[in-house]
Amino acid sequence: MSLRYMIPASKFKRYLPKDYVELVDYGPFGRKYSEVGVKNMGAYKELVEEHPMCSGCWMAYYIKIIFAALPNPENTVTIGTAGCGRLAISQAAVPFVYGNYGDQNAMASGMTRAFRLRFPDIQKDVITIAGDGGMMDIGFSMTMHAWFRREKFTTIMLDNEVYGNTGGQESGMSIEGAVLKMSPKGKNFGKMPAMQLAITAGCVYVVKMSPTNINKAAKAIRRAIFAARNLGPTFIHVYTSCNIEYSIPTPDVFKDAKEMEKGRFAFEEFMTPEAKELFAQVESKTKREVS
Amino acid sequence: MYYVAKVNSEMCSTYKCNMCTLYCPEPNTLMFDKEHKHGNDHGTSWVDEDRCKGCAICVYVCSDLLNRDCIEMAMVTTEEA
Repeated sequence: MSLRYMIPASKFKRYLPKDYVELVDYGPFGRKYSEVGVKNMGAYKELVEEHPMCSGCWMAYYIKIIFAALPNPENTVTIGTAGCGRLAISQAAVPFVYGNYGDQNAMASGMTRAFRLRFPDIQKDVITIAGDGGMMDIGFSMTMHAWFRREKFTTIMLDNEVYGNTGGQESGMSIEGAVLKMSPKGKNFGKMPAMQLAITAGCVYVVKMSPTNINKAAKAIRRAIFAARNLGPTFIHVYTSCNIEYSIPTPDVFKDAKEMEKGRFAFEEFMTPEAKELFAQVESKTKREVS
Repeated sequence: MYYVAKVNSEMCSTYKCNMCTLYCPEPNTLMFDKEHKHGNDHGTSWVDEDRCKGCAICVYVCSDLLNRDCIEMAMVTTEEA
């Protein structure tokens, strides 16, 4: 997509929504990552607009980081599915496709292949962003098979360990014994080993983390996108608490994320030797590119 | 009535750390001016009160983590916001 496409004629500017004009004048499109990116959030117009996600939602926070970390937002497409996350992802100034109940990775497979045929000279980044239910329960087979096929796109799982927007049912990613509104007796089996599944299925770069360090979170996102362009599927498993279903007071949401970082969401990073070599090349070229 | 974050510009401008902005979960809400705007000569964080959802994560970052106490939560009316 040419950037000229989004720039309005000056005479029409005053009739356009303020947010659109601000995005054209102060947004990140066509600017260097060192000028915008996560470090400068708050000093430029971010891609995500107002959304209806809950006050203090850590998932909304991580979605904000995803869009601020994109290496090439003007040539990126996101795909999501039912769940809280799509409420914010769909409000970003990046094309969003709504997958039907967990088929986001199947759609991304076709879309990635189509982009390579239709735009052979343009790098288009495809990212699927869905919750633990959409990714590991309902969309499990399509997620796994996309990885087995070595489809070149990035998968991001926003893990809040519950079905948050349907009233608090347990998911495959809830921990054993988790008592939730719709599972009052507690969950009977443990959390699915998503990271190990991704590695076994052939992902070339896999990260598990709790986003408490913004630079580290952005670096993982950018690495996942760079590796997916060249090598194969990549996966980020990130803790994004549901403060409503787990009754976390909003001022304590960040504190909770830090606690999780000391426990089951301790930072883990897997990369193949090829991915390691690629990151060394990219990061030595320009340090700012991934930090 | 709405519950929103209020930044003390004078105090904030002495630190200019921008940390609250980096941890606000709402986009384009807790902003940071490097240059002097909003009645301050040295640059400061500021809140777009129409967008603030009152979660107070910024207060946790500024007061509990950094011990700077530059932000407080306040009730505002629609006329004030």
